[in-house]
Amino acid sequence: MPVHVPGPRLLSSIKFKHLVKGAGSAGGPRAANVSLNLTPFVDMMTILVTFLLMVFSSSGELLTAQKGLDLPLAVSQAELQMAPIIVIDKTDIKFINGPTPQQIASVDATLKDEGVKVEALFERLEAADRSIKEGVAAGKLPKDLKKACEDQRASKRPAAGGKVCPSGLAILQADKDTDAKLINKVVLTAKAAGFDNLLFAVKNK
Amino acid sequence: MGAAVGTGDGKKSVNVELNLVPFIDLMSCLTAFLLATAVWSKFAQINIQPKGKSRDTSAVVDPDEKLILSVLIQSDKIYVGVSRIDQFQEIPKKGDSHDWEKFTTTIADHKKSSNFADRTDLEIAAESSATGVVKYDEVVRAMDIAVQAGFLDVGLSDPAGLAARPQL
Repeated sequence: MPVHVPGPRLLSSIKFKHLVKGAGSAGGPRAANVSLNLTPFVDMMTILVTFLLMVFSSSGELLTAQKGLDLPLAVSQAELQMAPIIVIDKTDIKFINGPTPQQIASVDATLKDEGVKVEALFERLEAADRSIKEGVAAGKLPKDLKKACEDQRASKRPAAGGKVCPSGLAILQADKDTDAKLINKVVLTAKAAGFDNLLFAVKNK
Repeated sequence: MGAAVGTGDGKKSVNVELNLVPFIDLMSCLTAFLLATAVWSKFAQINIQPKGKSRDTSAVVDPDEKLILSVLIQSDKIYVGVSRIDQFQEIPKKGDSHDWEKFTTTIADHKKSSNFADRTDLEIAAESSATGVVKYDEVVRAMDIAVQAGFLDVGLSDPAGLAARPQL
């Protein structure tokens, strides 16, 4: 049996209750159960969720704000729909018809070029138009778009805020300071490639 | 959070303790999801029909068949003209920017006129040169004003392709 140095011992000469009394968790007169008031937290969460549900919009999936691209402002409230996107930022022209944007040409080189069309863009647009038209012909479309295509064939204009047939539809997302000469060139290229309907992306005022 | 149910007549009150933990969990998940997918800048569109030759167009429409309202934006002025009649209104620049108020009233007046009251088409062109650059912002603003006035079928044309073009 080991020999201990004489002195006070826990539990025998020093009671546990004296050690824990300060913390108040046990042994003391007051319990340490602190009830958190969750009401303001739940209130805040409810307001936040309501606000976020109100501003929730799926149009953000179509266009993403590109770095160095400032869209013009407009009063128009019509919503965008899915289509190939031509992006003209301060330096480059890009084409988006899939997960990754494709670099087409630089803005300066295109402006200096005397040609009527942007050839590299024309090739890509033509290929995209062909695949879209094949999809439309095969009837691989949601119900509302099928109706829009039938209306288009009957030369009926879509209702205000209604969907437009994806055949021959593209989105132009250009910086507000872009030279109108370049816009003309891109629009003519799109028209020549079969895109008769262009949606100019704008920011709501 | 608790709720007292069935108190009264001296009997023991029944305190029901609502378990808020699943509710808070759900709210937290929903908040995180909505914050991640929130779109702070809302995009809209202006629908235009490009003028010119299309790959699928076989026949060329004769522009003399009907009156066409044409808008030509230049760096220092805007022309609003009607084809066949060859009436042109010149709207000079006011200060640093175009006189958009006058342009709005001009377009609205044309829309009210008997020639265009039942029409929704209009064509716009921008003439940009090295000395006077017309910006895309100005083209969109002109289109937006036209759409607001009731010209829903805005066509964007090449300056040389306008039905009504002023003799410059």
